[in-house]
Amino acid sequence: MTETKAKKSQAAELRQPQKWITPVLLGWLVPGGGHFYLKRWNHGGLLLFSVAGMFLFGLMMRGRMFTPESGDLFTTVMNYGGYMGDLATGLLYFLASWLGYSQPLLASPVTDYGTKFLVCAGLLNILAMVDAYEIAVGEKP
Amino acid sequence: MFVALSHFQAAVLFAFFTSIVMGVIGRETDQERLRYGAYVFGCFMAAIVGISWLMYIGHG
Repeated sequence: MTETKAKKSQAAELRQPQKWITPVLLGWLVPGGGHFYLKRWNHGGLLLFSVAGMFLFGLMMRGRMFTPESGDLFTTVMNYGGYMGDLATGLLYFLASWLGYSQPLLASPVTDYGTKFLVCAGLLNILAMVDAYEIAVGEKP
Repeated sequence: MFVALSHFQAAVLFAFFTSIVMGVIGRETDQERLRYGAYVFGCFMAAIVGISWLMYIGHG
């Protein structure tokens, strides 16, 4: 009984925001940053390589970055969803936008692949952030 | 620099990066991660080739 209570209080303590907020925020800003903060150097390096690699290929294929535009339901969902995906790459997105790499909408299959690569890089980074959270709160060894 | 990849090349590249992330976050030991990453990559490749053939046959 006492052991169960101790375990529960330990789990509650680990779930406190100050335990996981830094690795999750770092993981958002720099892909793999949360894992670097948690001293998972190899995993952080692999995540950085994958997310940044996918993002860079997206840029090199002249992918478009979404902006939060609204219109009919489909347009709104597409643009806001894509924007959230782009935003999830953190500093990569801010740097690329700031340096003017955002491309206009072009009718080409290659740029369309690029657009998907940019969004998917963000989605992969969200998975990495969730993993950093799980490590930080002790749900994962 | 403009990289003009074909649909197949883009799909393989996507599978490669995604498999690494799935491998890293999906399992607990390095051995399992490597195996799982390779398995996910294999599944992507099988889906790419399989669905391509389905579309080719379905198209007539």
